[in-house]
Amino acid sequence: MSQDIDKTTAGAANPSRRRFLNTTALMGLGGAGLAAGITALPGGTRDAVAAPATNGGLNPHVNPGELDEYYGLWSGGHTGDFRVLGIPSGRELHRVPCFTPDALVGWGITNESKAIMGTKPDGSLQFTVGDTHHTHASYKDGNYDGRYAWINDKINSRIARIRLDYFVCDKITKLPNVMGFHGIFPDKRDPVDPAINYTTRVFCGGEFHIPTPNDGRDLDDPTKWQALFSCVDAETMEVRWQAKIDGNCDLVATSFDGKLAAANQYNTENGITFQDMMAAERDACVFFNVARIEQAVKDGKFTTIGDSKVPVVDCTRAANTDPKTALSAYVSVPKNPHGVNASPDGKYFICSGKLSPTATVIELEKVLQYFEGNVADIDDTIVAEVEIGLGPLHTAFDGRGNAYTTLFLDSQIVKWNVDAAIRFTAGDTSAQYVVDRLDVHYQPGHINASQSETMFADGKWLCVGCKFSKDRFLPVGPLHAENEQLIDISGEKMVLAHEAPVRPEPHDFIIFRRELLMPKQIYQHEDFPNAITDIANAGVTRDGNKVTVKMVTYAPTYDPLEFKVKVGDEVTLILTNLDRIEDLTHGLAIPDYNINFIVNPQETKSVTFKVEKPGVYWYYCTHFCHALHLEMRGRMLVEA
Amino acid sequence: MVIDMPSLLKPFRLLLLLVLAMLAAATHAQTSTYEARLPPELFSARDMCAYTDCASVLPGAVRFSERKGSPTFVEGFDSSDRLLGYVMLSSDITDIPAYSGKPIIKLIGMDANGNFTGIRILKHSEPILLLGIPETALNRFNDQYLGKHVGDRIEVGRTRAGEDVIGVDAISGATVTVIVQNQVIMQSGGAVARQTGILEPIVREQRAFVEMGHQPDWETLVTEGSVQSLIVQPEDVGLEPGDTPFIELWFGYLNHPDVGLAVLGDIGWSRLMERIGDDQAIFIIRTAGAESFKGSGFVRGGLYDRIQVRQDVDVFNFYDLDYYNLFGVAAPGAPRFSESGIFVIRGDSFSAAYPWSLVFLGNRIDQATGQRSFANFSADYWLAADYLEGGRAVIKAPDAPWVRIWKVRAVEIGIFIALLIVVSIAYANRDRLTRASTRKNKWPVNAIKYSAWIVSIFFVGFYLMAQPSITQVLTWFHALLLDWRWELFLLDPFIFIFWIFIIVTVFLWGRGLFCGWLCPFGSLSELLYKIGGAIGLKRFQFKLSQRSHDKLKWLKYVVFGVLLAVSAFSLTTAEMLAEVEPFKTTFLVGMFNRAWPYTLFAAGLLALSIFMERPFCKYLCPLGAALAMPTTFRWFGLKRKQECTSCKACAVGCGSLAIDEKGRIDARECMLCLDCMVLYTDDHACPPLAQERKRREKVGLPLTPIGKDGYYIPIKPVPAAGATN
Repeated sequence: MSQDIDKTTAGAANPSRRRFLNTTALMGLGGAGLAAGITALPGGTRDAVAAPATNGGLNPHVNPGELDEYYGLWSGGHTGDFRVLGIPSGRELHRVPCFTPDALVGWGITNESKAIMGTKPDGSLQFTVGDTHHTHASYKDGNYDGRYAWINDKINSRIARIRLDYFVCDKITKLPNVMGFHGIFPDKRDPVDPAINYTTRVFCGGEFHIPTPNDGRDLDDPTKWQALFSCVDAETMEVRWQAKIDGNCDLVATSFDGKLAAANQYNTENGITFQDMMAAERDACVFFNVARIEQAVKDGKFTTIGDSKVPVVDCTRAANTDPKTALSAYVSVPKNPHGVNASPDGKYFICSGKLSPTATVIELEKVLQYFEGNVADIDDTIVAEVEIGLGPLHTAFDGRGNAYTTLFLDSQIVKWNVDAAIRFTAGDTSAQYVVDRLDVHYQPGHINASQSETMFADGKWLCVGCKFSKDRFLPVGPLHAENEQLIDISGEKMVLAHEAPVRPEPHDFIIFRRELLMPKQIYQHEDFPNAITDIANAGVTRDGNKVTVKMVTYAPTYDPLEFKVKVGDEVTLILTNLDRIEDLTHGLAIPDYNINFIVNPQETKSVTFKVEKPGVYWYYCTHFCHALHLEMRGRMLVEA
Repeated sequence: MVIDMPSLLKPFRLLLLLVLAMLAAATHAQTSTYEARLPPELFSARDMCAYTDCASVLPGAVRFSERKGSPTFVEGFDSSDRLLGYVMLSSDITDIPAYSGKPIIKLIGMDANGNFTGIRILKHSEPILLLGIPETALNRFNDQYLGKHVGDRIEVGRTRAGEDVIGVDAISGATVTVIVQNQVIMQSGGAVARQTGILEPIVREQRAFVEMGHQPDWETLVTEGSVQSLIVQPEDVGLEPGDTPFIELWFGYLNHPDVGLAVLGDIGWSRLMERIGDDQAIFIIRTAGAESFKGSGFVRGGLYDRIQVRQDVDVFNFYDLDYYNLFGVAAPGAPRFSESGIFVIRGDSFSAAYPWSLVFLGNRIDQATGQRSFANFSADYWLAADYLEGGRAVIKAPDAPWVRIWKVRAVEIGIFIALLIVVSIAYANRDRLTRASTRKNKWPVNAIKYSAWIVSIFFVGFYLMAQPSITQVLTWFHALLLDWRWELFLLDPFIFIFWIFIIVTVFLWGRGLFCGWLCPFGSLSELLYKIGGAIGLKRFQFKLSQRSHDKLKWLKYVVFGVLLAVSAFSLTTAEMLAEVEPFKTTFLVGMFNRAWPYTLFAAGLLALSIFMERPFCKYLCPLGAALAMPTTFRWFGLKRKQECTSCKACAVGCGSLAIDEKGRIDARECMLCLDCMVLYTDDHACPPLAQERKRREKVGLPLTPIGKDGYYIPIKPVPAAGATN
């Protein structure tokens, strides 16, 4: 009898190991459950999550053999790339090419990367420049889930998705009828379906006004020019819908309940000249009622622009005067505001005044009430508007009720208490909302804190992207590195702890705990339909003047080590790295053919090129792989 | 005279060519398998052995089957089509990469009982073997497995008899290579042995976890055994003893939710479980010491060569893809650490319901010589019963090695015991045998004795290799003084049984029954003498004079004394000196497998035996000397008559020269051949008895039966009724 019982438990044993996944996945929503008190770290003890501390004293130094506690995802600016930093060390761990070619990995060289980047009919790249400003990652249960990050290209209005398992760009979408795509933010849950408590949309703010479509019409009639706010599907990366808006979108924010997206706006005047753009005392933060917009699209209440099939809804002020049916609402914010940031408690969006020394706190519950018709004036949703310093731009949070805002003109960070600011605005003049100020070096732009954009802001590190570095680093000529300064915010007073140079010119960044990511170590053949999984399948095949070279690498050699082609052939070379050891990456460079790319362990890539000059061309491994790395080379023999 | 120089040089030139050719061959042999091009069919063809020499690893096999089984292997058959064993291609079974990151492809032969018969490297890519360590070193390493059983726990490192671990010597500088080789050989052999019934298949039942939902702190984890420590002290690795451990590791099993959550925290644990799927994971942190437990082998070869998880015979190694960062230990009170990692155990043969151990593969440095040797340290782990549904799995304790041997050799043991019993019974009934024999016809005694010799020489000696030796006596002396472990002696059942027999019979009858009837070498020696005599060499046969013999016979005691004395200082030296026994050369290793001095010595003794009865036994055998001494206290001696003191008839025929001039038998020298006992009751040979016979015949008295005292039963007149005397 007892034996029978044993057998039953034995049968159930294997699945039971996995049983707990579901329960723990649910635990994330509990909030306080986040990895609290990971104490025994190689570098020393760390405080528990968001625990109020009396003084600073965090150690920014990561000794040899130790690991950074946080990942930082950084935009590269007009290098057009995406970067990964370790925080607190500030060490750059990785660069992910997306919008612009990269000579190291062969981005823009290989057929696969070209297909993602987009090509002209002749096969050459459509764009080789990009300007990345903002990067944000996908959410689940109010925290990052490690699936994706998205990044914008302002120059060519493209959005790229970065897979956070391989840290590669896997899709790029060009937004139609948008110029100056600036702000970007994924949603955090679905506004309607409570089961979808993760990112399914990415919102994109359009900045410049252009004719729609921009095909040469209305060149002299700026009143007909338009800016669009776009919603992109997180999985398919197709544009779900667009919205016509007044004003120029800068940053984008989304609410934790998934119901609201917002973009701060300058130039609500819809002006074209400098003076026009700064004419009004108050610009706006435009709120989008996501559920209503998508219902309108479903109901067919949309138009399209030119040959774009994307549904376009009207979110201008004039078309949305009745709150009960409005798709959008414009909360006024002084003056040419910059930045809109969601507080980790889910209650407020905070806009910075830029040309006004103020921060404006908008209560989201009131915005929702406005859409219900329960708030008479949309500006009644502003619960605080306080002076904090000159040139306020962006705001981060510590999870303890404090906001940290960069003051561009003052070259300062101001720490202020949101509740105190609300009390002050409500009339309590004794409320001391400014807690601390700290000089930074210099001209701070973006700011973010560890876990600040999640429900789990832990109030440990604050990073400030200083646009000017002046005298802070060894001089290297006129072009200076920018200065990413790290501030310990675990105490009442901010403490400048560390600074690190970055190659210009990153804008925005996010910082989150390292255990949230599980990057893959090597590739799998299944990732590549053209993978050459066996040496036996390597070789050369010819179809007319089209030649396919199937090549594999295994340290320290290629197979085949020699192949023959003729002038005029179109060669497609497919290369699979058969090595399976971490770090055993190989390169392939072909002299005079402008070809160099790498294949990581078990990765496959291909290049296609026209054979133009006869002769011997030694192809060789450019990525150190083995003691016999130098000997790793083969011959392309080109017959005249 | 004109000397023709070139013609004189000719032979030298030939010699030179020969040497060059040998050098070339040696060089060729050294590099021949590096990145060798193997026919692709070898890896896929049904008829594997058509593409490589399978018989080279299974000597004697003339025919091989097609590939069969999963993973595949082939069967090898001898000339009479009897299944001889199995041959497997390592790459069919496992592709564990060696140092180069690529597997070493080898052909492995195993006999039908699971003993390795040959291991040959077909292809390797090890740069280390190209750059300094000769490939022959790997061959020598592989040769260590020959004759070892697939079910043994063979490890690179020291033999640890207590833990049932057989060590093989590593190749310095090629640790990864040899550890992988060990794993490949044992896994390949094991995979085939489990398919063919040599080994029982290993199925470790997985048990569901009992989730208690408590949040243990570090101290609780330690108390309940969910984390364990492995501590190596400096002196363990040959360093000066110090205040801090050489390395202190803490480790634990992560799949159990209570333990895993406590160690990794919610997100860390759930992400890890998501990532490893059905696999299992452990964590290791280093809380003291500077030596890395990760080493550097994983950097290029991918293998972490300093740690392993072992569960019974299964060894789980870790590769770079099995490693994840351990960022921190969430449990309050956890110690600070300086190195950490999460390691994934792949596959389902590992079960947390069974005990396992973490092994740290270290080096021991001999301070005197600076030599490094491998030293493995392990710590056990077994998840608490409360954490497992149904508690911990019940382990079928494996038979102790000696039990296994006794079981495996039960038939031979039975035959051997039967032999000893038959001989003992025969000897116990020696009176009956000797009475049935006469000086002219000793066959009733000799038939049994010669049969015993033949069985001893061929069955006991050559087949069982159960030749008792003085080294065993020396070992006992030491074991008695230091640490007596029955297991050690039980490991060789035949020697063990033989010694029980020897001890019993020495005290009953004297050493002669063993020495004269059953000692394989003694039997061989005397048999040669008898054969020599029978084939007409009798006239060349001789013996020493009694005087010389009486002096020379003490030599064996000297030999024994010297051995015993030397053994007090060095057992190893004593065992080397014990080569004075030609037993090893004759039976254990074989005449033709030893260096010529040994062969010459053994062959010389046997050659001398043709002409002289038992020269080794009489004058050299230290074992005989050791047994002779207690023989003094034997219980039952041979019989003597009054006349024996003056009659020398027996002494003349005594091959052992054991009867002195006063007719006394020296039991210490006596081989219990029973010749004198045959005479004792032979009324044609024993002078007093013959005299009496003749007298009676002359006077016409009847020849009454011969009594126990060796005389005719006296004729006594039957007394008249009622009379008394």
